[in-house]
Amino acid sequence: MMKFICILLLALIIPKQNGGDLYLCKNAKITIYSSALIEDIKADSNFGLSVFNPATGELNFSLLISSLQFEKAFMQQHFNSDYMESDKYPRAIFKGKVQEHVDVTRDGSYPVTVTGTFTVHGVTKPRTITGTITVKNGIVSMASEFMVNCADHHIDIPQILFYHIAENIKVTVSATDILYKSPSNQ
Amino acid sequence: MIDMKKFILFLLFASLATAGMAQKPDSTKNTSSADSLFNSMNAVNKKENVVVFESPRLILTQTNETVKKKNLNVIFVHRFGDFAGPSGGGKFFYGFDDIADVYLALQYGISDNLNIEIGRNTLPLVGGLVDLELKYALIHQTSDNSSPVAITLIGQTGVRPYNSYATFGDRVSYFGQVVFASKLSHRFSIEVAPSIVQNNLPVPDLSGSPEQIFSLSAAARLKVTKLLSVVCDYAHPFGSYRNAVGFSDPLGFGIQAVTGGHVFTINITNSRAASEINYLSNTTSDYGRGQYRIGFTISRMFDFTHKETFNPKR
Repeated sequence: MMKFICILLLALIIPKQNGGDLYLCKNAKITIYSSALIEDIKADSNFGLSVFNPATGELNFSLLISSLQFEKAFMQQHFNSDYMESDKYPRAIFKGKVQEHVDVTRDGSYPVTVTGTFTVHGVTKPRTITGTITVKNGIVSMASEFMVNCADHHIDIPQILFYHIAENIKVTVSATDILYKSPSNQ
Repeated sequence: MIDMKKFILFLLFASLATAGMAQKPDSTKNTSSADSLFNSMNAVNKKENVVVFESPRLILTQTNETVKKKNLNVIFVHRFGDFAGPSGGGKFFYGFDDIADVYLALQYGISDNLNIEIGRNTLPLVGGLVDLELKYALIHQTSDNSSPVAITLIGQTGVRPYNSYATFGDRVSYFGQVVFASKLSHRFSIEVAPSIVQNNLPVPDLSGSPEQIFSLSAAARLKVTKLLSVVCDYAHPFGSYRNAVGFSDPLGFGIQAVTGGHVFTINITNSRAASEINYLSNTTSDYGRGQYRIGFTISRMFDFTHKETFNPKR
């Protein structure tokens, strides 16, 4: 009977950890690049958010659009107010699942395919994005590069503009996720 | 044995109860642990400054907006002659033959909040005015609404370089303004700006004309498309002298196109002058007499933030 109680107690404890450890990065570097007629447009943010659950493969990314810093202040204002309408749609969000198993306890580099949904400018599209996950000493680094089509996300490009942005924008993501320790678990 | 069974039952109940409690916040959102962490992190709202107007200048009044650090704004304001009335109409090609005022100015961002501007008004009727201005964004409207209005201070000194005056002091005028601006919705922004003009020599220089003029300006912008806005701009100078017949309140309507570094405004206003000192002191042209005109403003922003020193954390 004592054994049974022990098993029962164990069974009660185990589900708490079954959700798996989470890996978090609050300063993912996200760059957008668009080649344009007069000059190339480039902006970057160091405030991307990434949450990764190696047990389930869940991988989420988000970026506050207005945190993208442009070289020129008026370009940034224009990008936020006229292209992205970032007051209405403040964030770009990717929610996906890594198709391959990534063993975070073993160092190595894993080419991955992430399938999920990508929401920009209030429009959600299914996307499959490839990238690399590198594990080293328990630190999970991620890198990816993909294209975003403006029309897919209903991002209108006004016609009479001096700073045209291209129809497709290259997005580069690099994140270093570390094991997340919830304050409540401490 | 019975005790043991009871104990197990109790344990089961206790575990079920705690499991239920532990899962409650998650199950209502129907999300996984990764999602809930992601959502809680995303919920943190970053406090940001709201861009109330997309340009530092409307038709008559300036807005709360400043030129950012190391940016140079080149401003060109043009007002044609009277559209109708005795000095307008077809004979003068609806005012296009004439110049009521031309204002050329350079506005530079010493910091993101502090601008210096130097400009020159042609104003053929008065003989020109050169002005030097400091503009300081004191408070920004913030996205979390901790500050629902933006407050900007404007201080200007104007000197009339031509004609003959008794002393140099008589050539000098001052202008001070506090701009209260707020973006009320995605499309609509307003501003209210009390101001004072001090003309060392009253303008017009007639008996009873006060040296100091208090006035209140109000302006609004309605964004129609991503590029185009409709702008309305009004100023009312107070005082019994200006309430008398002969003066009218400057009022302007316009369409503004903001395209990145460029701002174009095409407008109709009864004010001949472009400078605050001039139009608040002496606007006598009246819509009722056909003394309104077509005008435009073009401004171009140059950013001198050097590429090599471009810091994304700026």
